[in-house]
Amino acid sequence: MNQADVSKLMSQLRIAVRPTKRNLKNPDGPEGRLLKLRKTVTALVKHERIELYYNRADEARGYAELLISNAIRHGDRHKATMELADYWLLEKQLVHKLFKVLVPRFENSTVSYTRMFKAPRDYPGMYYRKSVLELRGNPYPALIPDNSQNRNLLHNVLLDEARKEFRREKLASLANKLAAETENATASTIETPAQAPVTDPQSEQSKQAEEAPKA
Amino acid sequence: MNINVRILTKSVSQQYAFKRIVTFSTKPTQQAAVAAVPQQQEVTGPSVRKPIVPAHYRFVYPEFLPDPKIEWRNAIREKLERLDMLDRRRQIELPEFYVGSILAVTSSDPHAAGKTSRFVGICIHRERCGLRARFILRNVIDHQGIEVVYELYDPTIQKVEVLRLEKRLDDSLFYLRDALPEFSTFDENMEAEPLEEGAPVPINDIKVVLRPRPWLERWERQNLLGVANIEQYIKDKHRKSAEKVQKPWEKFDLMKQYRATIPEEEQKEIFAEVHTELHTLELQRKRNKRKRTFVKPKHLA
Repeated sequence: MNQADVSKLMSQLRIAVRPTKRNLKNPDGPEGRLLKLRKTVTALVKHERIELYYNRADEARGYAELLISNAIRHGDRHKATMELADYWLLEKQLVHKLFKVLVPRFENSTVSYTRMFKAPRDYPGMYYRKSVLELRGNPYPALIPDNSQNRNLLHNVLLDEARKEFRREKLASLANKLAAETENATASTIETPAQAPVTDPQSEQSKQAEEAPKA
Repeated sequence: MNINVRILTKSVSQQYAFKRIVTFSTKPTQQAAVAAVPQQQEVTGPSVRKPIVPAHYRFVYPEFLPDPKIEWRNAIREKLERLDMLDRRRQIELPEFYVGSILAVTSSDPHAAGKTSRFVGICIHRERCGLRARFILRNVIDHQGIEVVYELYDPTIQKVEVLRLEKRLDDSLFYLRDALPEFSTFDENMEAEPLEEGAPVPINDIKVVLRPRPWLERWERQNLLGVANIEQYIKDKHRKSAEKVQKPWEKFDLMKQYRATIPEEEQKEIFAEVHTELHTLELQRKRNKRKRTFVKPKHLA
């Protein structure tokens, strides 16, 4: 039962986090592991969509998410965050991209900043699982077709019907209103006899009916 | 002309009343979208109001945050523990203190003369969370270094007084075990030194003097700020080995830090739950303190 570290505040990740890290075997130990991950994070920020082995992608994903969330949280005037960006992005022009492109893109996001998909692996080839890691809002065509706009989906059918009915009601009420207005207009024109050679039977009858009690 | 208009409008109204208008767009109409957005804002505006938890609560009450180890998390257990902690805090005053503060703890002791024992010492370490939270007090009594581990929520504890509220430069002060005894010697009859209300907790930047090797730990490897004379006792081989075990990349290891912390959103939730209770307890304590100072003027003979 260890105490939580309270010296640092971090935003909650919107991805599932493994309880432990993967070691990503390499001869240089933990530092070499971080170098591997730095390369991956740099490539992700640079290309916005990369295909790689699943384990490395899953490890790098958390780091990329936290880098972006820290950049959003502290901005580019924060020294520690700048050092962090300098460490994690091996190509230094990408530091500008992080603060000027990715931060505005993800500022108001309520979902994770990255997406990960399972990719097919080569056969015959390395046995390791593969995956595609991408930043959301990238300029490439989507990997998964977006079916939410398909008009045969039940909720879209229902929405369409509701919309139709709404418009129908609205137009009907509009037409009724217009009719009433024109009726009023004709009535007023009849009252001034100089202008009106009117032969509308309904209005004449109504006029007579009006005049009768006067006489 | 009028006839034409009338006929036309009639026909139009009939047409729209009975004929179906067929549209196939599934996007919301522009008017609908515009109308929907401000409504949502109006709704969220008042509901966002929540009790404002001070930012320093995570330092004052670190034991309310659960262990960040994911396998050990259990929302229900954590919540029950928090309730129990609040229950205990209603019974006994558990003041704010830090590593480096000087405390006096009175606890039940079946073997002591008056069935209670009071120990004064400097808090050298705080660890564990929830009901298991504990701290270590250290003092030198009769030229013998004494350390007592107290559990904060132990029911045998009768009173916890903070005699001097301050912090030190390091997160734990285990190096006091290897320091000269005067750095961990505190008078048992020491009087409390109250801080001004609202004043920040002072950081005591005292540098302790270690005695010569052998030491209990390899202090030269721990980047301690509160030790004055480490350089005096180490040789080149120690310096080299200390350099070898340094991990300068760890401050960039974001996921390691993430796995060691409770994220801010979760902290807010936890402290929002206990904040009102803790706040009322704090106010009560302040009121009691004021009363006591008026009622009991000190007589020193």
